[in-house]
Amino acid sequence: MMKQRLASSSPMQFFPLQTSQIMLLVILATLPAMLVATWFFGYGVILNVLFATLVGVLCEATISRIRGRSVRATLADNSCLVTAVLFGMTIPPGTSWWLIVMGMVFAIALVKHAYGGLGQNTFNPAMAGYLFLLLAYPLDMTSWHLPAAAMNFNSASSPLGWQGFLQSLGCLFPFLPLLGDSLTVDGLAMATPLIESKLAAGNAIKAALEEGTGLFARSSETGWELINFAWLLGGLFLLVTRLISWHIPLSMIASTLIMSLLYYSPSAVAVLGTPYLHLFGSATMMGAFFIATDPVSAATGSRAKIAYGIIIGVSLYSIRVWGSYLDAVAIAVLFGNFCAPLLDRLLAPRKYGHPGLFSKLLGDITTGKSSP
Amino acid sequence: MIRQAFSDLFERLGSTSRRGIRPATLRESSLRSRIMPTPIPRELILSLQHYPDTSAKDVSSMKPCVEVGEWVAKYQLIAREKGPNATRLHAPTSGTVQAIEEIPPAVNGQRARLAIRLLTDTDERELPLEPPSDYRSLAPEQMIQLIEDAGICGMGGAGFPTATKVRDALEKGVKTLIINGVECEPYISCDEALIRERADLTVQGAELLQAACLADDCVIVIDNAMPAARQALKEKLQGSAIKLQVVRRRYPAGDERQLVKAVCRREVPNDGHPTDIGVLVQNIGTAVAVYEAIVHAKPCISRIVTLTGSALLTPKNFDAPIGTPVQHLLNLCGVNENQHEFTIRGGSMMGQYLMDQAAPIEKTTNCIIASNNAEIPEREAEQACIRCGYCEQACPAQLQPQRLLASIRNEEWQDTVELGLDDCIECGACAVVCPSRIPLVSYFRAGKEIHNEDHSAQRQSRHWQERFQFHQYRIKKNQEKARSAKVAAQSAGEEQGFSRDQARMEISAAVERVRRRREALARETGHGEEKS
Repeated sequence: MMKQRLASSSPMQFFPLQTSQIMLLVILATLPAMLVATWFFGYGVILNVLFATLVGVLCEATISRIRGRSVRATLADNSCLVTAVLFGMTIPPGTSWWLIVMGMVFAIALVKHAYGGLGQNTFNPAMAGYLFLLLAYPLDMTSWHLPAAAMNFNSASSPLGWQGFLQSLGCLFPFLPLLGDSLTVDGLAMATPLIESKLAAGNAIKAALEEGTGLFARSSETGWELINFAWLLGGLFLLVTRLISWHIPLSMIASTLIMSLLYYSPSAVAVLGTPYLHLFGSATMMGAFFIATDPVSAATGSRAKIAYGIIIGVSLYSIRVWGSYLDAVAIAVLFGNFCAPLLDRLLAPRKYGHPGLFSKLLGDITTGKSSP
Repeated sequence: MIRQAFSDLFERLGSTSRRGIRPATLRESSLRSRIMPTPIPRELILSLQHYPDTSAKDVSSMKPCVEVGEWVAKYQLIAREKGPNATRLHAPTSGTVQAIEEIPPAVNGQRARLAIRLLTDTDERELPLEPPSDYRSLAPEQMIQLIEDAGICGMGGAGFPTATKVRDALEKGVKTLIINGVECEPYISCDEALIRERADLTVQGAELLQAACLADDCVIVIDNAMPAARQALKEKLQGSAIKLQVVRRRYPAGDERQLVKAVCRREVPNDGHPTDIGVLVQNIGTAVAVYEAIVHAKPCISRIVTLTGSALLTPKNFDAPIGTPVQHLLNLCGVNENQHEFTIRGGSMMGQYLMDQAAPIEKTTNCIIASNNAEIPEREAEQACIRCGYCEQACPAQLQPQRLLASIRNEEWQDTVELGLDDCIECGACAVVCPSRIPLVSYFRAGKEIHNEDHSAQRQSRHWQERFQFHQYRIKKNQEKARSAKVAAQSAGEEQGFSRDQARMEISAAVERVRRRREALARETGHGEEKS
């Protein structure tokens, strides 16, 4: 013990938080959104998250075993829990188990470990896993199988009841004999949180707002807004605790807002959407606070983070309005991931005592000779 | 002028002006009592290696000018500097030189060094000091000579000889003298204690230093976590031309380059010193030592040391003679043996674990922390870097530690240079904030060492490299010669007009000749074919 101490060197004091604890706090920050989503869509959300976590942990353990690493140490960083929670909340509730298995294995095995494990992955595992499913199984990723009570707003029974639980479980594991005649499930093809207004969700939300539906009345339309506010709440928690810096969320939200304001026209709301819709009608808040800020795949410096956020915000809007992909946030974030290493290099902070880029250029212009 | 303004503006955009970290202050316990004079220990150990952690191969940077068995008086010169980077050493008290021998390294990574063991007597007989009759009328060069004679070095920790530094400043001409009273390490309180109790000496020392380097202005800088010191300085500074500046407490605000930026709003060039932009920085303890040296001609034989940590019953600051064994000071504070698990020399941010409790206090030793695992827990196991960028936000040198780490792990030395490995001041702020508990600063120290070794190896091998290149050049030249000869031969062949078509024609012509000859032969023999 004493010998170890002597061999180690300064500093001897550390800030209290460790990587594994940061990951747990991020999961804590997703709780509001998880609760609101469960309120609207039933237990499917939580079942998704739990099952994805189970698959993720098993996959991570297997792969670190194969790679000859300590399973315990790999699992101890809790990073696969965050991936599983975010992945589980992105895919629609009621998705079959094998889709979740495919997505999580893709995320952990290929996107994370094939690149060298935590810290080495270029792309956000949760988003890459989701996008893989979206491209391979677009129909399943846009179909929502919800308990009947969650679909029928005037239903007396709640989707949070016993029946709703059985229905959600039956959707996840269709081979279980849970979905009998009495336990019917409604299927609905609609936009996922990440699929955008041009698929008419805009009109639906607009109608919901005009009809003055009660805020917490179960309706899939107002649900999106409240889920977004819940993500915002969790995001503010991350900001206040300084787990994330303001640069990425602010620049991403601001650039999305500016784009939607620039192109806003009352006559074309159905196509271009309103600024409010762009911020709260889809997955912008989740993307800004939880997806784009994934440290491993994001830019690191302050300037680089701002540029990264702007790239994601602008491409997010562009994909939504002019693109033909089903989803905008996931693709925009992966696009940002592509740019992050370059941004870190180009927008590196000026080292103390070194001339900055601008004075280097000016030096070239005014003195006519290149600076060292 | 306009160019400067523009480049300043653009460089400030996007670069966070306030970097570093803010650890909690833990100075209160050692500031409860006043600075305590130290009873002379039985034995003083005076290290002859000036730079405490130098990697120099020599076991000493000072040459003793006393012999074993010789009796020395207090203030007597006992060792002279060997080179320009060392100071001279005086006897802190009277006694007999017991031995001049190698002592074990005090901290990890240090080499064995030579030291004078002085067996003290209780007489404290001193040499008569010869103070200048009117120190106010001294010329700068005379003052610097007095500083040099007194053996003063930077008391902040780096320990660079003060006379050399001031002389350099005088030659280059400085505008601003900064007296550094900022203490950013959590535990160290020796500077604050000094200002509180000897503010008048501090101010006079600053004035003398200003006169010695002929600076236009002088600023004493302290941080905002020391209100009592601020009050004391304010009183003493009334009517003085010296300014007082209070900076926000932040680690490492007390670093020379950080301080220059905070006070002058300018950065020290990466390959230069503060004197290159007309600034001289001196520690507050140095200023007091300078006062003693110039006014009383008193050599530097003691310094203020903070003794603190939860294992001590009464943490306090000592005015300790140079060479006092650490154990002696620990005993004076009272050690709770059950809680004393390790000792740190220096602060908890940049200090090192003390391997030998008998190691002496040196001119650069500012703090001793006797602590345990409950107070200062061991670093947790290292996890993977998640590129969170906390280190980049904290780095006062505005580097990207996470990228530096990757390039050092991959041994891409060209990249490490571009990323500014040489600009790293090894403050350790990155390692403090790292949630994955990666000892970043250790990687950087190791990287610097390996890289420098590579460089010296490169220099050694340059000769052979040149030989090799010449060899390569000769081979290439010979090859070219051979090739050109071949090409010449080829082109000669082409001139003869040797081509495939021609060959075919020649062959067919030969075949025709053979056929005709056969026909002619057949005709000559008449019915030769029927016969056969």
